[in-house]
Amino acid sequence: MMGAQQAQKDRKLNNRKKGLAVLLGLISVFTFFSLPYMRFVFKDTTYTVSGLQLAITKGFRVQGPTVSGLVTIPMLTRVAVIAGVLLAAAGIVLLLLNKASLAGAAFVLSGVTPLIVLITTSSIQEAVTQLNISKIVVGYLWPSIYVLIGGIVCAVLSLWTRGTEKLAESIFLVFSCVSVGSVIMITVYIIAAGAPAIVQIGLGHFLFGTQWNAEAGTFGILPLILSSIAGTLGAIVLGVPVGILTAVFLAETARPQVARLVHPAIELLAGIPSVVYGFFGMLVIVPVIRSFPPFQGHTIGDSLLAAIIILAVMVLPTIVSVTETSLKAVPQAYREASLALGATQTTTIFKVSIPAARSGILAGVILGVGRAIGETMAVIMVAGNVANMPSMLGTVRLLTTGIAMEMSYASGLHRQALFAIGLVLFVFIMIVNISFTYISKRGVQMDAE
Amino acid sequence: MQNNSLYGKKRRPMDTVLKTLINAAAAVTVITLLGIICYILVNGLPYISWRFISTPYSETKDELKGILPMIINTIYIVVITLLISAPIGISSAIYLTQYAKQGRLVKAIRFTTEVLSGIPSIIFGLFGYTVFCILFRLQTSILAGCLTMSICILPTIIRTTEESLLSVPSSYKEGAMALGAGKLRVVMGIVLPCAMPGVLTAVILAMGRIVGESAALLFTSGLSYNMPRGFWQQIFSSGRTLTLHLYQTAREAASPDAMHIAYATAAVLLILVFLLNRLAGLLSRMLKKG
Repeated sequence: MMGAQQAQKDRKLNNRKKGLAVLLGLISVFTFFSLPYMRFVFKDTTYTVSGLQLAITKGFRVQGPTVSGLVTIPMLTRVAVIAGVLLAAAGIVLLLLNKASLAGAAFVLSGVTPLIVLITTSSIQEAVTQLNISKIVVGYLWPSIYVLIGGIVCAVLSLWTRGTEKLAESIFLVFSCVSVGSVIMITVYIIAAGAPAIVQIGLGHFLFGTQWNAEAGTFGILPLILSSIAGTLGAIVLGVPVGILTAVFLAETARPQVARLVHPAIELLAGIPSVVYGFFGMLVIVPVIRSFPPFQGHTIGDSLLAAIIILAVMVLPTIVSVTETSLKAVPQAYREASLALGATQTTTIFKVSIPAARSGILAGVILGVGRAIGETMAVIMVAGNVANMPSMLGTVRLLTTGIAMEMSYASGLHRQALFAIGLVLFVFIMIVNISFTYISKRGVQMDAE
Repeated sequence: MQNNSLYGKKRRPMDTVLKTLINAAAAVTVITLLGIICYILVNGLPYISWRFISTPYSETKDELKGILPMIINTIYIVVITLLISAPIGISSAIYLTQYAKQGRLVKAIRFTTEVLSGIPSIIFGLFGYTVFCILFRLQTSILAGCLTMSICILPTIIRTTEESLLSVPSSYKEGAMALGAGKLRVVMGIVLPCAMPGVLTAVILAMGRIVGESAALLFTSGLSYNMPRGFWQQIFSSGRTLTLHLYQTAREAASPDAMHIAYATAAVLLILVFLLNRLAGLLSRMLKKG
């Protein structure tokens, strides 16, 4: 008896959620047909269009100061607006057919469409600039914002009809897909922004050209690539031995009290902002290099060497913490066996512990390489930033600093070339990343055996 | 003379050398850290005053050399970024540890989280600039910076939260389930509260990351130093954080006076980072104790 009453109550509640979702969905569809969706303000003409008009009208006739012309609405904008209303309608139908998850997906997608409209209308800007109108204001009126929020609310309501548990799981799932979506978006946009310049300049000229001169329009980034590689290699050569030995100290030889003091120091080293490292390098390392007797007169201080020293310090915490973790994961029995055979502690460390932890150590080194290649702000303050071929005491410009230096004032092909540098850097990083994943996975498998 | 006695210690020069090297390496690491901290604090602390912290900044006027706008901008960016990113990150960690079954999707999520943590901040900056500033028409604004940073710190939050969720003994969950609690009730009522110190650690680590970030914000939130007037107006306009202020003042400094501002800003940053670091350490120790 109680159960039946409860079930009836549940059904009633579900019907209410369903009804509300359908109502909100219908409002979405209705706004499309009649309410103003967006507003475009050109120099002195204002166009307010509903979703339907946005989808079917050809464009706006705009009077520029010298020329007048038709500004067409991009195809993708039309598709997105129509897709928004179709998806909302599909959601309603699916909900009425009791396909709650599918309905939820449809509603979410329809909620995303205003964002796509927002992205695609940016090409209107370019069309208008051709008419010599610099000023165009694109306004988003409340119906388009409603479609976004309403879509999400509808999705939540329709999933809720299947119970709170299901709703919670779906929300967690959607949120955990954000990182997947971000990586896809980043990859797509970095490629889309970088590829045009590479195509225009030519891959060979771009990668192997030795001249970077923005005024003359020659964009060759070989010096930048080589400087980045040299800087990273130098940092690794300096940082890895110190890092590994520090990790050995922490994991093997140090007394627990001492390790407890040194350990937070490593964490703090990792937490210091890169600008502070750069600042320190600029005020301490650069003057020291400038006035170091053997170098005197050969260098102004800002140099590849300064960058290498700063980078070496910056990759230390990464290498130390990864190495320490993998050393601690080496089974105690290995050490005991070695000691029982009469080996000293030092022999045990270098012949047993480190070889057993080598894949973890290698992963740490690779992670350090990634840090060093990608570091920008610390390097920019000490490297001198002239696009020379790398030499130890000369000024250099790395891939990262090349982007950061000129981004603020670059335009046209120059700006696209900077995005292309970003693409090259991204490819480097992805290679490093994927080899890191591969190696750390292999390490885990070895431990499992 | 060969010493073969059981009690005599054989001298192994190689051992001594290696041991010295190990100790030397640890010493180098610690001394570097102490050197940097001491240098910045010794040079910066004398210039930190209430006036420095509470006045606006102007490049031209000599009496206005404070860092109040940068502090406010930094707080805005930290708070808004966490508001966006913490729910997403914590939900992902909950899904990965409590709901997901091993499969392609979980593999994809783990792989992308790893990839995200390896992408350098300058790439995030470029991405944020093309997507949030240009495509979404946010211009260089604090909001664009926040959106960029929320992607940046996602891996930190997901990983640390995941670890702390996994450290909750499964007997707690089983006990709750045996009492008839639903899965959501178990997660929200038992697992999450038990892992709370870990979740807070994740949030604080993320805060440290945001406070220290510069390259990702250079193009997205910009370098303007105007005094914020209102919340809504400010998040849609450009504003520099403490790190970018340090970068800009250090690069432009022509006189020793200008350098003082950079020193003091660096000291403020170091103190902030140090406090956040200690707080995270404290919380993770709490988690270990249970």
